[in-house]
Amino acid sequence: MTRRFANPPGSTCSSAPAPAAQASAAKNPPLAEPEPAPLSLEKRRDGRLWALLAERAAPVKLRRCFPWTFPERYISLQTDDNVELAFVSDPNDLSPASRVALAQALSEAGFVFVIQGVHSVKEDFELRCFEVETPQGRRAFQTALDAWPRETPDGGLLIEDVAGDVFRIEDPTTLDERSRELLWELVD
Amino acid sequence: MTTQQRFDDRHIIARYTDQPTQLPNTLRAAVSEDGGAASRILAYAMADLDERLSFAQSWLVLSGSHVVVASGDGSDTRSWRRVPHGDVGKVDLTTGLSCHVLRVCSRNGDGEPLIELRFTHRQRRSMEGLAFLLEQLEKGLALQTRDADEAYVESVAQPIREAQALVSTRQLAVVWRLLDYLKPYKIRVICGMSAASLVTLLALVPPFLTGHLVDHVIRPVQDGQLRATAVVHVAWLAVVGIAVVQAVSKLCIWLRLRLLAVVGELVARDLRDELFAHLQLLSMSFFSRKKTGSLITRVSSDTDRIWEFLAFGVVEVSLALVSLLGLSIVLVSLDLRLGLVMAVPVPLMCLAIHYHGNGMQRMFTRVWRKWSRLTDVLSDSIPGMRVVKAFNQGPREQGRFSERNADVVSEFNRVHASWTGFWPALMLALEVTILCVWVLALPRLLGTSSAFGPALSLGKFVSFLLYTTMFIYPVELLGQVARVMHRATSSAQRVFEVLDTQPEVVDQPNPVRIETLRGEVEFERVTFAYDGIRQVIKDLSFKVHPGELIGLVGPSGGGKTTLINLLTRFYDVTGGSISIDGVDLRRLEGGHYREQVGIVLQEPYLFQGSVLENIRYGAPSASFDEVIAAARVANAHDFISRLPHGYDTVVGERGHTLSGGERQRVSIARAVLKNPRILILDEATSSVDTETERKIQEAMDRLVTGRTVFAIAHRLSTLRKASRLLVIQDGNLVEHGTHAELLANPNGVYTKLHRLQQELHEAA
Repeated sequence: MTRRFANPPGSTCSSAPAPAAQASAAKNPPLAEPEPAPLSLEKRRDGRLWALLAERAAPVKLRRCFPWTFPERYISLQTDDNVELAFVSDPNDLSPASRVALAQALSEAGFVFVIQGVHSVKEDFELRCFEVETPQGRRAFQTALDAWPRETPDGGLLIEDVAGDVFRIEDPTTLDERSRELLWELVD
Repeated sequence: MTTQQRFDDRHIIARYTDQPTQLPNTLRAAVSEDGGAASRILAYAMADLDERLSFAQSWLVLSGSHVVVASGDGSDTRSWRRVPHGDVGKVDLTTGLSCHVLRVCSRNGDGEPLIELRFTHRQRRSMEGLAFLLEQLEKGLALQTRDADEAYVESVAQPIREAQALVSTRQLAVVWRLLDYLKPYKIRVICGMSAASLVTLLALVPPFLTGHLVDHVIRPVQDGQLRATAVVHVAWLAVVGIAVVQAVSKLCIWLRLRLLAVVGELVARDLRDELFAHLQLLSMSFFSRKKTGSLITRVSSDTDRIWEFLAFGVVEVSLALVSLLGLSIVLVSLDLRLGLVMAVPVPLMCLAIHYHGNGMQRMFTRVWRKWSRLTDVLSDSIPGMRVVKAFNQGPREQGRFSERNADVVSEFNRVHASWTGFWPALMLALEVTILCVWVLALPRLLGTSSAFGPALSLGKFVSFLLYTTMFIYPVELLGQVARVMHRATSSAQRVFEVLDTQPEVVDQPNPVRIETLRGEVEFERVTFAYDGIRQVIKDLSFKVHPGELIGLVGPSGGGKTTLINLLTRFYDVTGGSISIDGVDLRRLEGGHYREQVGIVLQEPYLFQGSVLENIRYGAPSASFDEVIAAARVANAHDFISRLPHGYDTVVGERGHTLSGGERQRVSIARAVLKNPRILILDEATSSVDTETERKIQEAMDRLVTGRTVFAIAHRLSTLRKASRLLVIQDGNLVEHGTHAELLANPNGVYTKLHRLQQELHEAA
């Protein structure tokens, strides 16, 4: 469901209305909360993903709120000024065309290198040098000696190199034996 | 950037990445074929992904007249895209986790991007620099560029260089450089090494004497070939000889340990002094790149490891090697067959030690990783104990700690299982070798078979056995070589990295000293970029007269603090100039200038020491009266005199803890005592309560009298007494004037800020 903030900042809510308010509410039932404006997404000629919300259209950047815990949901669509324009808690709530546009944009925004195999891991003074196989081909990267792989909730591993590129091992147990042996001191 | 550093950056790229170290020559030649300014290459960057997110190589080149995109080495010009400067429109840089996209649209805005490139983080710095230049182009601003090749290699190599202490393919080069520090103490080193060598040589004597005694004295007497009385003096001479050798040997050991341990300490002291002195010279840009903890470790533990290496490691390892070689030669010369039985397995044992060491290193890496996870829990929960208790998460933290503790122990047990198995096995191998010697020697000793060689005398065999036991110690020592060398050279590299860094802000030859500043400051078309490309201060010009109080206001990130950094000459401007009393700041003697500049920071820093020492920090010879007077001006005397030990109260982590407002007032007292001509106040009241703010404001009102003051404040009320206000936004001076003059502009930046603060104040 897409959402915009219903209450302006600074407003207060209480869980139990006062008796006078309850009586008033019985006489004058509260107005139904307006339906959130539908969101549609499309890729335009400028190559960017645009969000169309009510009467506003703007190019947006995607930010996954939980890129490793729950990557399929909870995506913030932000303008170039880093202001959230819309929030997609479940892409299934979008139209099929919007879902496709979102998926295309996410594949780029969420791109990381996936390690399919490890050719070598060496220490070179203050660096740990990896040479790995990815779907894109062979890639060499370096991490600091104490930059340990990070476990993700789905059992995968993330390694961030000195430049900030992210390398992911989706399931360490499915790597070949040599790769597992090379990663032995870095992986439980 | 020095030539040497440029070479290192290219070396880094060649060594650690698969990408070219510069723009391909074919592309360079084709872009700059006309040879004029229009075709000069101003900047370039590489994109390493294509639209399918596969590896690719495309170059984005900014020349004097065009923006060129070419793939591969650029030889296929049909695939080029050439965009004249005039067509460059909006530039958009979209960042992702590991894929970023740069789009350059047409100025006429027909939608489709002229240029669309995808790249990884590795290319991000160079691409961002280029994107900035394209934005400047789109705005019609003049481009400030550096050498394109330098900019490219530096931006690609920088993350690797920052993570890597020193790029060197030769560990030995680092060792040689370290040994250079022994030169001032060469007499002691020579004496110590000589003593150590003598010990090694003397160790060979007792077994020889023993063998000689057995063969030429004891056996003949027992066999009746000699009369005891005839040779007893020889026997006692031999015994005395052994005793003398042992005594001299122990004396040499004492001498060696004493001399080399002291030399090690002296070298470590020299390194620490040199390192700390060099740190004082380095520019603020160095400290902003390096973690404080890492620098502290270099001065403390890294120099300590170097002491250990120089005092023991060097000598022990070299003597161990000499011992093994010497013993092998002695054994082989005593008896060829038996000598070979002992000598041949030695290289194999050394190899086994080397491979075991590698395996242990891997295990220690796991231990280190698990240990880091354990200490993470400690560094989280102990400082945050209030939060742990407030949220009642003690049992959870306990569980987390216990789990990781158990994990660490299991790794340590793996290590213990390995070394407790290996070393006895190695000793067993050594003993088996000695057994082999027995097996081969026994028939020769008993004379039962000549197949194993000629007869062997008892004395010679006893010498032989004594020599074989001397193998054990050097073999054990060699097992630690790799670890000691690795630790010491890693430490040495970290130390040398600092020593090899040159300060970026240096005094010119024959700098100017202005004995007493008047306090006139002029910024003339000042520009500044931390990375040399993206300007944080853009063409700033203003003049401040002596005694003025200048308020610096504007949105966060606008450049106010950078302006202060330039004024204090923590960094040098990249364009334009700053003059102090009419003299270019770069011509002034930096240290002398800063003695007349005072700073009160937003987060006041007090050194470990007494309040007195902290107030006196900039004026160590100030009298007690002057210190108290300064404290009164700062509204600090009252609370200081109430402290347990008054002005002698030790403050800092291991001393009495002062509140934020108290620390700020001590900091103001420090500035007051220094009596600076130019005073800088950097948001000095931003993190205190109202009453404390009032006291600090009173103190500052006294402090600013008669000085030129630059005050940054987000709370505009603190600048009510400013002579003038400078409104800085996005590195530009957008407005200036008095408070009333600025408020007269209803749409001005200052007016909006002022209105916003009033609304917040009223809402509260």
